[in-house]
Amino acid sequence: MTAALALLARLVVGALLVVAGALKLRAPVAFATEIANYQLFPAVAPYLGALLPVVELTIGLALIVGPRAWRRGAALGALALFATFTVAVASAYFRRINIDCGCFGTGGGPITALTLARNVGLMTAAALALRFDR
Amino acid sequence: MFATTLGRALCLLLAGSALGLAVNAARPDGVRFTKFAPPNSCGAEAAPAGGGVPVAVLRPADVVALCNDADTLLADVRPPAEFAEGHVTGAIHLPCTSSGQAASAAVDRLAGRHTLIVYGDATDDAKVVADELGGRAGRTGRTDLRVIVIDGGFDAWNRAGLACSSGPCPECGAPRSGSAHK
Repeated sequence: MTAALALLARLVVGALLVVAGALKLRAPVAFATEIANYQLFPAVAPYLGALLPVVELTIGLALIVGPRAWRRGAALGALALFATFTVAVASAYFRRINIDCGCFGTGGGPITALTLARNVGLMTAAALALRFDR
Repeated sequence: MFATTLGRALCLLLAGSALGLAVNAARPDGVRFTKFAPPNSCGAEAAPAGGGVPVAVLRPADVVALCNDADTLLADVRPPAEFAEGHVTGAIHLPCTSSGQAASAAVDRLAGRHTLIVYGDATDDAKVVADELGGRAGRTGRTDLRVIVIDGGFDAWNRAGLACSSGPCPECGAPRSGSAHK
């Protein structure tokens, strides 16, 4: 049961990272702008805009098609990514900054409590994949 | 065991980062680190298309009545020196070079208000800021907001003798000395 759940979590998280990375990769400058809008570390926004899409693709592909040993590493990487995203989204949400999430590139919709809940859900899924993947 | 997993996670993150840098450097539309400009009040790159509040351009004579409404916020987008020289009293200063944070703060100040009036040296400089603010407000669900740009800017307002600081406008307050206030 837990193995099936972990498999599902791994595939969902992996597919979502691949889709999100591919969408962000289409317009890196716009994505860097979305990151800068969070007003956390604007100086690193252009670097993150260049790096993050491919990092998400790498982690997502490793989760889906990687060998088991590397899948666990990818699950930990996904957990770290989602934890970082959750902190950023929570920061914008509680500071009431009215910006787009940038979760799937540009035009991803404003940050709401649902965005925050979705990120926490994805963190949980990544943790499941890390703990129970066989 | 965990150390191995951690090592592999770091390997994937670093490999992805290196690959990301390489891909970014290779593509013509990649992020140029030295030329990247953070978003500001004009936010042309930050504002996604659609979803914003439409911006109306009105003549000074059509706008003046709104100055009597306490639920109106005024924003002056002219350069700091011109703003310091004289502005509609009560107007916030929000030039195009303001940070995205300042634009967010301006939108926050619109809570409970129904109208935003933006003016500049002319129509166009105010319009870009109004578009950005309207976009930000629209994305927070403020579709009830009315965003107005004063046609011809502050000069037209002054030429028409309609400086709202001289009227009974609670937003505009007491008249100030200088050409901007009558």
